[in-house]
Amino acid sequence: MRVVEKRRRPRFGRFFVLLILASLCIGGCRAKTSRVKLFVLSPDSAANKAMQTRQFETPGSDELLSASAAVLQDLGFQITESTRDLGFLRAAKERSAREYDQEIGRGVLAFLTLVLSALGGQNATIWMPVDLHQQINASMIAQPVHDDGRHQEVRVVFYRLVWKGSGVSGNQTILPGEQKMEMIRDAEIYQYFFSRLSKAVFLEAQKI
Amino acid sequence: MRVELIRLVALSILFALVSAGCARPPPEPQELLAPTEEQMKIRNLQTRTFDVADRKVAMRAVISALQDLGFIIERANEPLGLVTAARFAEPRYYDVVGVTVTVRSANESQTKIRANAIYNNQPITDPAVYRNFFATLERSLFIERN
Repeated sequence: MRVVEKRRRPRFGRFFVLLILASLCIGGCRAKTSRVKLFVLSPDSAANKAMQTRQFETPGSDELLSASAAVLQDLGFQITESTRDLGFLRAAKERSAREYDQEIGRGVLAFLTLVLSALGGQNATIWMPVDLHQQINASMIAQPVHDDGRHQEVRVVFYRLVWKGSGVSGNQTILPGEQKMEMIRDAEIYQYFFSRLSKAVFLEAQKI
Repeated sequence: MRVELIRLVALSILFALVSAGCARPPPEPQELLAPTEEQMKIRNLQTRTFDVADRKVAMRAVISALQDLGFIIERANEPLGLVTAARFAEPRYYDVVGVTVTVRSANESQTKIRANAIYNNQPITDPAVYRNFFATLERSLFIERN
């Protein structure tokens, strides 16, 4: 008899756990990128190239590279890799990745799940992990356009790695450190970098 | 009656686990480093010779091709002819594709280019992947030469 009574009680906690599991499964089933397609030029590759590339007139490739390094340093980057022969530079900077939207979303979800778990009599409160820390990276290549060596083409790519903090789901702790990677495709960021670089190249050329 | 049934099921699961553990002997380590036919096949897929005399031109073409494909250049070494790049398998931001390209002079007028690609630390052995990469590289070399 007791068993029957127990079954009739509403099980909000279990319901929510199931709901979360289902959403995770659906998330996991998202279309996987075909490996073959990763090595084919995508329709937006030309647009990306245009956004990431600019030509500069400089006295030499070394001047352009040192000017680029200076601009990256001005923007708070640390140079992590450089190859002079190929005009290659790589730089990184670390910043906080906390955003108001995510914090508010986390708070709202925690409040809702707290109310529901109070109704259901089980602890199913969820504190979603939010973005905590990010590393912004830049990878840059300068190539000569003509043989005269006075015209150089600079192509830069910005991207970021984001690490999530810890969270809680019911009585279980979600461990911190989940990683997410993202290309930065905001044209304004590239325009800003190139406008700084063209000023720096000019200054370098005039020896100011 | 019910308890007995459960006990029987538990025992049979335990027996199955134990027998599975005994069934397979450990793999023989001698073959780990020996070249296999499979490896030769993959190497052939990954290597292609191009009619370019200047290695630096070939390297610049490799870098351009990788950038056009959305790869991030991570390391480049001109004297050794090495380029390492990676990209995120968008739209899945948790998967990474890595590629290492080596550029070597084959003879006076030709350059040998080899690409190794990995997907989340697993080597890619699909011939179509390398065919696509070399097609992009061919296009990039054409632009570089003209």
